[in-house]
Amino acid sequence: MVGRRLFRTGWRHLTRHRWQSVLSILGITLGVAVVTAVDLANDSARRSFELSMAQITGRTTHQIVGGPTGISEQLYADLRIRQGLRTSAPVVEGLVRVRGETFTLLGLDPFAEKAFRPFLRTDEGDWVRKLLTRRDTLVVPAVTARRLGLAAGDRIEVEAEGRSSTLEVVAVVGEAGNAALDGLLLCDISTAQELLNRVGRLDRIDLILEEAAAPWSQRLPDGLRLVRPGVRTAAMAEMSEAFQTNLRAMSLLALLVGAFLIYNAMTFSVLQRRGLLGMLRVLGVTRGELFQLVLLEALVIGVLGTLLGIALGILLAGGLVTLVTRTINDLYFTLTVSELSITAGGLLTAATLGIVTTLAATLVPALEASRSSPLAVTHRSQIELQAHRTLPWLTTAGVAIMASGLLLARLPGPDLDLGFLALFLIIVGYALLVPLSVVVLSRLFIPVLKQGFGTVGRLAGRGIDAALSRTGLAVAALTLAIAATVGMGIMVSSFRATVADWLGQTLQGEIYVSIPHRASRRATAPLPAGLPQRLRSLPGVRELSMGRSVRVEAEGGMVNLLAIEMASASYRGFRFKGSTIPGLWQRFDDGEVLLASEPFAYHNQLKTGDQVALFTATGVKRFTIGGLFFDYGSDRGMLVLAAETYRAYWKDPAISTIGLYLDEGADIGTVLSAVRQAAGGLDERIRVRANREILQHSLEVFDRTFTITNILRLLVIGVAFVGILSALMALMLEWRREHAILRAIGLLPEQLLRLVILQTGSMGLMAGLLSLPLGWLMAEVLIDVINRRAFGWSIQHLLPVGILAEALLFSLTAALLAGLYPALRLMRTPPASALREE
Amino acid sequence: MLRLLFLLLLLVGCSPDPAPTGSTQITALLGDDAAEGFLRAYEPRSFVFPGDHGVHPGFRSEWWYITGNLDSAEGRRFGFQVTFFRFALSPPAAGNRASRWAFDHMWMAHVAVTDPRGNRHHAEERLAREALGLAGAEQNPFKVWLEGWSLTGTDNGFPWHLTLDGEEVGLQLSFSPLRAPVLQGREGLSQKGDEPGNASYYYSITRMQTRGVLTLGERRFEVGGLSWLDREWGTSALGGDQVGWDWFSLQLNDGTDLMYYRLRRRSGEPDPHSAGTLLFKNGEKRLLGPGDVRLEPEKWWTSPDDVRYPVSWQLTVRPLGRTFLVTGVIDAQEMDLSVVYWEGAVDVFSAGKVVGRGYLEMTGY
Repeated sequence: MVGRRLFRTGWRHLTRHRWQSVLSILGITLGVAVVTAVDLANDSARRSFELSMAQITGRTTHQIVGGPTGISEQLYADLRIRQGLRTSAPVVEGLVRVRGETFTLLGLDPFAEKAFRPFLRTDEGDWVRKLLTRRDTLVVPAVTARRLGLAAGDRIEVEAEGRSSTLEVVAVVGEAGNAALDGLLLCDISTAQELLNRVGRLDRIDLILEEAAAPWSQRLPDGLRLVRPGVRTAAMAEMSEAFQTNLRAMSLLALLVGAFLIYNAMTFSVLQRRGLLGMLRVLGVTRGELFQLVLLEALVIGVLGTLLGIALGILLAGGLVTLVTRTINDLYFTLTVSELSITAGGLLTAATLGIVTTLAATLVPALEASRSSPLAVTHRSQIELQAHRTLPWLTTAGVAIMASGLLLARLPGPDLDLGFLALFLIIVGYALLVPLSVVVLSRLFIPVLKQGFGTVGRLAGRGIDAALSRTGLAVAALTLAIAATVGMGIMVSSFRATVADWLGQTLQGEIYVSIPHRASRRATAPLPAGLPQRLRSLPGVRELSMGRSVRVEAEGGMVNLLAIEMASASYRGFRFKGSTIPGLWQRFDDGEVLLASEPFAYHNQLKTGDQVALFTATGVKRFTIGGLFFDYGSDRGMLVLAAETYRAYWKDPAISTIGLYLDEGADIGTVLSAVRQAAGGLDERIRVRANREILQHSLEVFDRTFTITNILRLLVIGVAFVGILSALMALMLEWRREHAILRAIGLLPEQLLRLVILQTGSMGLMAGLLSLPLGWLMAEVLIDVINRRAFGWSIQHLLPVGILAEALLFSLTAALLAGLYPALRLMRTPPASALREE
Repeated sequence: MLRLLFLLLLLVGCSPDPAPTGSTQITALLGDDAAEGFLRAYEPRSFVFPGDHGVHPGFRSEWWYITGNLDSAEGRRFGFQVTFFRFALSPPAAGNRASRWAFDHMWMAHVAVTDPRGNRHHAEERLAREALGLAGAEQNPFKVWLEGWSLTGTDNGFPWHLTLDGEEVGLQLSFSPLRAPVLQGREGLSQKGDEPGNASYYYSITRMQTRGVLTLGERRFEVGGLSWLDREWGTSALGGDQVGWDWFSLQLNDGTDLMYYRLRRRSGEPDPHSAGTLLFKNGEKRLLGPGDVRLEPEKWWTSPDDVRYPVSWQLTVRPLGRTFLVTGVIDAQEMDLSVVYWEGAVDVFSAGKVVGRGYLEMTGY
């Protein structure tokens, strides 16, 4: 082990170079914080989902589920009376909004609940009678009541199916600490049916069956299926998994940038002390001890940074979990996370990651320290010479690593982790290429600098090349950090452009009519039956298309299905990937063929011509995939079927969207208000929107989804900024002596300031320039490998100039800012004292 | 008889004491603002059969209560109790609701079988709303049911058939009356408290020839014997002074049937509304008041929930000039269901000899 005295030298170094230490700690802190926050947010969302599913499921072992229209309530009565299936409970479930928040309203029959769930016991007081006999009552879990400040007797506005009703909270149930119940509201099944427009229907029947219930599923009417709730829960959880994996990967990127900062800082600190280290060797300190010394220093930084990072991460997670939850709510299912679940395991992972990353990043500098020669104090020039000598090796290694990364990225296959590994290799490989690029770039810069700034400019350029051991590193760290933000930026804006294009293409009609609903509903709310007729007769309306969005059961679980009756222009709304089967639309209309969206085909590994089996109301039916269309509406994918086919197999005549195609020259505004009038008279919940509005709204949802990405990007930028600051400041402090000499031999303070600014500016510019290809490459991998593997989407490749310019500007500004402090300090220090300090 | 209604209202009413364990469950459903909007029993009425066997939905509660002592072909004895309760949770609804699950009446059914040889008493319960055909009543022919459990009449009235398939017990029984319905209290108006309307309409068929099949676990028994039917409906709201009752329905071997309920006041005194009927073999009927009957507990049994019940009684009937010993065929016949009470088969002894059989119900201990 390292002796006490030796350790003290290390400690002194850390405390004397306070700025450097602080910045290294900050680097690790930010990296660990981001990882911790994302992990906690993800974990909390997952845990909260599982717990609330467990609460909703109760002791249910099986469920009877039906098609888009649910199950006839009479089936339940028959099961209980004729089949004597006693451990069964009817459930009507839907989403409602209270005070701007979405809740799952669970309609239950308290008389049947005893064996299933503990919420609605008939022995709890007078409120049960109110709940059972009054249509305007509900029960709120204690945790929710506390959060919303509700008590028994309060009345609340509940918005369901586009209508608002006032309900009385007749009781607060459950323990206040049971956060898993948050997001649930409970009421009698009759109330739920009426609020949710489900009169006559059940969403499922929960069962407790002792053994595998094969005979049961045989006895069920067509269109109904017996499933295990766990399977459904898992399938639901899977929906958001790719999203959460991506978040995690992004957070690891932040840590990777942090690692570079540590590497950078530790290398500097070793270089700074080369004299001292040589002396220590002369005094008998072994290589091993020096190696340990540096590692120990890093450990101090790593532990401090990690602890701070975890603390900061917990703080950040509070905000992040809201964003994660919102995205999950927007895209996947309803989830309320009212509690951050901080697990020892999660924190331990973050701590291990932080410390191991720090130590790993310190390995090379520590080795370098241990190689300090005892014979003579190594000269600066020697180090630089060595740095230049290792350049070919570094470059070769970089090329090899990057090539393997690129190769890996090209490997086909669905493995997301391999995709991330490829990305990682590309980044590391590229970072190794940076020093060479610095040499090349600085040589290119010199003439320009000389031209513009004379001798000072030339000095600045040469200095960068000459101090390659440091500058190479600093620029590499900056490059990496900026590239990460560039890559994410390009990916997001490409994605957004793709979605906007797709929306433009898909929304062929001018006006769309629907009843608002939430994404996780089994079926969208049906429009009044007489509506199409009315709309068709409006002046200016040329044609209608009609759609019914439902979720139906396929072999692998629920799938989104859109049944459409197309207008002549609707066909243009589909853009196909690859070829379609011959005679597509004819066979589509005949009912044997359906269309599958790209993500659906991807996740289920299907291609045009393959078969898809769906559970219809009349039994299992196989359809042929006629073509794969681009669709960004759902990352699990969807299927499209002719309306007539759907009606025949699912016995569901409802329609939930109408698209209006207007006559040439018809005024949208006029038709819009005519449609609003016609529809509003039938049902006040109907929403009429011009396609432009939908487009705008969809992009808003898109942007909201990517808020979290942008926040992570900002965090990475934060890490990057600290990186630039620490790298350049360290470098400038290191150069103090040289600068003092320059001052001593006649350089004016203003000239010195210019020199420093030029140097840091050049390095910032280099990093900015070098980050562009890497950023672009990362975006390519994110789009073609990561996104494809996670979601199955094809995304256009764009190269937004704005993001590139932003990156350059950012790196330049950060670099200049970083140079300012040391430069100002140098200007104020008399050269003699700077020289004496060494 | 009063039975559960009494217990329910007692608990719902002004009783300041915490309700006995488990008993609050159904009472909570009945509410305390209850009587308004329901019919009430103020005056004697004329009973018309078979119509009055059926449901009287204007009253808040109603039940069909059958108890009996049966013997299997191989000589094994059983006691059974089956009750269908109807409770209106709210007066007939003014507004009509779209959902078929909306309801006014809930039904509760209790079944218990006592197997003295196996020293077993098994009780089960079901609850359901009167909606979607899950539970309800029909006239012509008479039928009450709760899910798969049902009591049905035939076109001409009797025999009635009970079909009941529980977790542990099953009953397939037919009932044929050996006697005409006897109207309890004042021409069928059974007064429960001082306030007018705190009464119910109450009749019994004290002897019904019973045969059929009793299933206990896996075993099936051909059984026959005598049963007793109690029918009662009303909208009572009692004062809080009464804490429970001891109710006897005894069929003596000499052809005499005895019904007596003693209401217990908080002070321990019998309530003046305690009442009963003696029905002689020749059809002659004599009403009993609190002064006609003396009851002395002989033996106590403590239930697993630590409730002490007197499971053996000295019963002195002054008009008969006789004292009987009434003893549960086994001690453990507590109904540990939504409403907890003791209800069990009993033997009636006189001078050390068995002179009859019957059922005993005890609440409020």
